[in-house]
Amino acid sequence: MSTKTARPGTTGRVPASRPAGDRPPRRLGDGAFAALLMLPGLAMLAAIVVYPLVASMVTAFFEQSLVEPGRRFVGLQNITELLGGDFWRLLWQTLVFTVGATIAPFLVGLALALALNTRIRGRAALRGLLLIPWLVPSVVVSFLWMWIFNANYGLANGALEALGLIDSPQAWLAGSGTAMTAVIVAKTWASFPWIMVMLLAGLQTVPVELHEAAETDGAGAVQRFFAVTLPHLRGIIGIVLLLEQIWNFQHFDLIYVMTGGGPAGATETFATAVYETAFQGFDLGRAGALGLLWMVLLLVMVAIYVRRSEREGQL
Amino acid sequence: MNSNLSRRDMLRLVGVGAGALGLGGLAACAPSADGPEEDKATSATDFSFASWSLADNASKAKIEQLMSGYGSKAGVTVKGLPLAYNNYLNQLTLQVRGGQFTGAAQMDIAWLAGLAALGKLRDLGDVAKNAGYTEAALSSGQVEGKQVGLPWTTAAIGLIANRDLMQKAGITSAPTTIADFETALRALKGTGVIPYAASTKVAQLKDILIWMQTFGSPLLEGDKVTVGDDASIEAVTWYKKLYDEKLIAPDVERVDARTLFAQGKTAMYDDAIVGRDFVVKGSPDKSIADKLDPIARPVKNAGDKPRAVQWGHAVVVVEGEGANTATDFAKWLTSDEQTVLGYFKDLSLPPTTTAALASEQVKTDAFTSQFSERITATATPNPFWKYPQYAQMETAISEHVQAVLVGKSKPADAMREAGQAVQALIK
Repeated sequence: MSTKTARPGTTGRVPASRPAGDRPPRRLGDGAFAALLMLPGLAMLAAIVVYPLVASMVTAFFEQSLVEPGRRFVGLQNITELLGGDFWRLLWQTLVFTVGATIAPFLVGLALALALNTRIRGRAALRGLLLIPWLVPSVVVSFLWMWIFNANYGLANGALEALGLIDSPQAWLAGSGTAMTAVIVAKTWASFPWIMVMLLAGLQTVPVELHEAAETDGAGAVQRFFAVTLPHLRGIIGIVLLLEQIWNFQHFDLIYVMTGGGPAGATETFATAVYETAFQGFDLGRAGALGLLWMVLLLVMVAIYVRRSEREGQL
Repeated sequence: MNSNLSRRDMLRLVGVGAGALGLGGLAACAPSADGPEEDKATSATDFSFASWSLADNASKAKIEQLMSGYGSKAGVTVKGLPLAYNNYLNQLTLQVRGGQFTGAAQMDIAWLAGLAALGKLRDLGDVAKNAGYTEAALSSGQVEGKQVGLPWTTAAIGLIANRDLMQKAGITSAPTTIADFETALRALKGTGVIPYAASTKVAQLKDILIWMQTFGSPLLEGDKVTVGDDASIEAVTWYKKLYDEKLIAPDVERVDARTLFAQGKTAMYDDAIVGRDFVVKGSPDKSIADKLDPIARPVKNAGDKPRAVQWGHAVVVVEGEGANTATDFAKWLTSDEQTVLGYFKDLSLPPTTTAALASEQVKTDAFTSQFSERITATATPNPFWKYPQYAQMETAISEHVQAVLVGKSKPADAMREAGQAVQALIK
């Protein structure tokens, strides 16, 4: 910023005279001025993010109910009880959901992006149509798939029975072995368009000359994919996978609406467990402890993302 | 407008903004009075009415009509707060606890102790006097002797059967014992329907408690939880047997059961008397109302008294802005004869006042009479209702029963753990 330009709203002249004893107005540095401009935003951030975050972290060290007054300091008791109890089961189930709901939509998105990057007929229309699942609100997606997988009147059973793939209706969401898969399928449907769009954008930056040169050298389609396309997409794939992992690690609505974390806790993740503990079990202390442990794990993933983004020059 | 602002101007604006923000924050953080804030208004004021019936298509129009009817009469606006039944208690608890809700609220009688524990419900004892409620109805709205709710409707939860489907399966009279019941379910399975759409999802698996009582478990003796005793284990083992034999279906809660029943895909399910309205309005079968048959719950040994759990709605008043008018609304809604009979006519929910119950309209309703004789007559409250932690207790038991149903736990282990979990909630 130039310091020679007259400040807007002033003439730029020094006052002709100043009463004796008056000090000249104190000048504010650019840094301090910028900090002051940010102050309202920071105050809002502190009020709606930092304060609740700190308050919930502090709650982790208390025995506190949502419906009863008062609280009692219990130190690390909530955390040690969790580490000796449900924490590892929840971590495993959260990881299963996170990995499944990241890899499956990635593979679908990649396949579709590759298909849409070719000169197929109706490409523009298909690109629009395939975005629809991403535009549908998550709760609507959840109800949609809940009905599809319903054991007694669901579309999935009807279709599979008609195709002769199953003999009798299956309880997809009520079976501890199938519920997580059903939830991952629903999440895949909701997530693949975003991944597809990101990868398609990346594919369109792959220089055609590289493919032509590889083709001249005798490389087939599969060889060109692994030798030319994939290395070029490496950066964007890394970011997409990492972001999906972070989002899935904290995903709540689809799991909660479809299964409520059941049956018998088979689809319970950190997100649903914190909600259930705080707002169904009314145990704020335990919910705070769970949230604290969950946040530490999430921070590790965010740190990896930030480091990777810096390396890729995308921050 | 001059857009050339100097830094000094900007600083002034920042100062003003920060000051306003600070004042706002201080106002928001200001401690409330020790007791609940009283509604000082002497004239009628606007208030909110929370209700899960407002979130149900079958009853929404009627509730809105009642709200606007009272609003016109009193010259106020009654603002509706619709909340789905399965999340009603925790959503309302959060709003009441945070001081975001005042006014009147519909409550399941099972939840009264939990909400009363927040200390913000108005004592409606004086209002209830001379309003004509029956003694039984009045007691359903009390917590530790305090009248926290005005009774709106009371009945029970029992078995409702489709008479046609039962006859098609060769069942000509309602099964009276568990053994007869199982035989009937097997006969129904042969006709291709879901024999009994019992609750198998956590949200409504509380229905297992009445089967535990049927098998002989008291559930609670003094403050000692008996879930985990032989009778409760026997009940859950039996329920698991029905599940494995596909005599009951997976993935079912009350709403699913009503839908399946309305579509003629199940012959039997558990519901309160309110279920008739949902089924009749949601069924493609125009004559389904004539096929509804409320039956007494089968007993373990012939001669035992059939068990049923009480069921009902009350209207509570949360202290604060509009509470006085909300109290008047609650009394009008639950005891004005024309209002409660209109409610009964449209939603089939029995009234709670002696005069309305004695009216021809109620006495001549065949379904209500049968339901009262066969189910409500022997209904008792759930012994856990008296605890503010009832919702958590119900969830703890339901989750353990579900673990048995999906094969993740043995009945004896699950019930022992459920009993311990519930006992831990009693302080």
